[in-house]
Amino acid sequence: MKKFAYFPGCSLEKMASSYHKSALETTEVFDIKLQELDDWNCCGATTYFHVDQLLAYTLVARNLALAEKEGLDLVAPCSACYKNAYFTNEYVKEDPDLAEHINFALEEDDLQFNGNIEVHHLIDVFVNDVGVGKLKEQVKNPLKGLKIAPYYGCQIVRPRKNGEDVEDPQYFEDIISAMGAEPANFPERLRCCGGSLIMTSRVAALDMVRILLQSAENNGAHVIATACPLCQVNLECYQATVNEEFGTDFKMPILYFTQLLGLALGISPKKLGIGIELVSATPIFSKLLPKEVK
Amino acid sequence: MSKDVQLLIIDDDPDFVEGIQSILTKAGYAVDVAYNPKEGFKALKSKKYDLLLLDIMMGRGAEGVMVARKINKDPVLREIPVLIITGIREQMAFLFPGQPIHPRFLPTDELLEKPVEPDFLLEKVNHLLELAKEKKSN
Amino acid sequence: MALKPSFSTEISNLLYAAHGSPINSCIQCGTCSGTCPVANYMDQSPRRLIGMINADLKDDVIDCNTYWFCASCYHCTVRCPADIDIAGVMYAVKRYSIWHKTYGEDLVGPQFSEAFVKTIVRSGRSYEPLLAPSYMTHFGPKEFFQEVVTASKMMLKGRIPVLPPRIKRLDNFKNMIRKIIPLGESS
Repeated sequence: MKKFAYFPGCSLEKMASSYHKSALETTEVFDIKLQELDDWNCCGATTYFHVDQLLAYTLVARNLALAEKEGLDLVAPCSACYKNAYFTNEYVKEDPDLAEHINFALEEDDLQFNGNIEVHHLIDVFVNDVGVGKLKEQVKNPLKGLKIAPYYGCQIVRPRKNGEDVEDPQYFEDIISAMGAEPANFPERLRCCGGSLIMTSRVAALDMVRILLQSAENNGAHVIATACPLCQVNLECYQATVNEEFGTDFKMPILYFTQLLGLALGISPKKLGIGIELVSATPIFSKLLPKEVK
Repeated sequence: MSKDVQLLIIDDDPDFVEGIQSILTKAGYAVDVAYNPKEGFKALKSKKYDLLLLDIMMGRGAEGVMVARKINKDPVLREIPVLIITGIREQMAFLFPGQPIHPRFLPTDELLEKPVEPDFLLEKVNHLLELAKEKKSN
Repeated sequence: MALKPSFSTEISNLLYAAHGSPINSCIQCGTCSGTCPVANYMDQSPRRLIGMINADLKDDVIDCNTYWFCASCYHCTVRCPADIDIAGVMYAVKRYSIWHKTYGEDLVGPQFSEAFVKTIVRSGRSYEPLLAPSYMTHFGPKEFFQEVVTASKMMLKGRIPVLPPRIKRLDNFKNMIRKIIPLGESS
């Protein structure tokens, strides 16, 4: 069994509880244990960086230190949490002054961080630790007939982390193919959903959401798969507002990739948190070939 | 005051620096300036200073604290008196409204809050230099 | 010794350690503006903002909404042929505007950021209902209504927590913060 320290992040506590549930269910199938960090704190999203980056790195480092104490690599399902954890880890490794200063603060919680762990996004775990081949082997209900738009969004891919392809990544498509579904051509798959602009610059953010929904719809997607709670909420919960503002009629279900994968693995929709959507996911079931998923 | 008393200011605010630099230069001190903590530390390593005037909020955040702690750990640099001049309470007022600066984590000799009164600044600088001289002769 | 720095140097000084960000190596190619998904809503495009910083047009830079409309998607950063971390520059100017209180009253971004950070330093975790006033007070009646409807629907689906979460070792956490930002009562 492979074990990771799991940093759910604030959104997964409630707003994205279905991501949390489906992450645990799907990793379990591959004998991977996501062990939640005890007493983790908020990663700060983007906002600490507007105030004090040293504070940002310190608060993120507290979570890294908690993982290091357990001797485990860290996994974050949220793209913003992942980006913050990834880069804090890198900066601590390359800047001894910063590391010293952060550890001076971490002493207050009897912690220290030495940069001895790795940080992964949840989707990396499926791509690298499980592997697409293994993934395919476990698929009990191939999602035949379903066209899924792979929405990468921003911070999984950007800033560039490890020399990966930031212009034309394919791993999300590969996962979708492994589920037995068809990855939709989705030209806007790397375009930003607006993130926190939905609160701070609403007009801009709603337009950004509209462009994504339109691109998926134009390409015949039945559902958009996401790997980030903020993307999910913007695309799904603000879909009605987009329809109202732009006179559109989108009814595009937005599910976490782990929920769709879970269905393919034969896990019941309820266990995957399906049913708390504001845009119903039921239409996708009728797209599936009969008897494949109940 | 003779020109051989050498001061260093590390502060990112060019306008503020311009003001105190002219006050200190008029009073006869030789004043060097670094506008970011990295350059500031380089300057400290390259030349002998009699006093450091240090800002807190600069660069990525409260880097002045980091500089002060680093100086304190260096057996040579720690002999230099440090005068913190900061507007941090104003800059972070939204986060800790009305709260005082916490002295426990700032290993420095004196602290002044911006804006500073010229006479008061000179008095503090003088005082710290005197103390350092006494310490040395003991 | 150093001459009085220009505004572009002042901004560079705010981000020198994060990445090598040679703002003045900008060749004004416009890749950032062409890539930016929010450019249409900004007073000045990212390309123009960098140009304005390099031309030391301090007041114009401070007055525009560009950096507070940056969503931190880093699309410009990964494409910049001059290797400028443009999103990092946006963060730097945001910090400048928070530290110097130069942001416009009508901007929601800085107030949201302040409310967010305040929530974290007090409880260790984020809590949406506490953040809502920082942006909803800026809404017109229609947006306000839309937001209430969205929030109510999410509430009905159990997607908004009733009680604000907080971490267990909150005192340690607060002391930790005090070592980075040395403000607050003794404890």
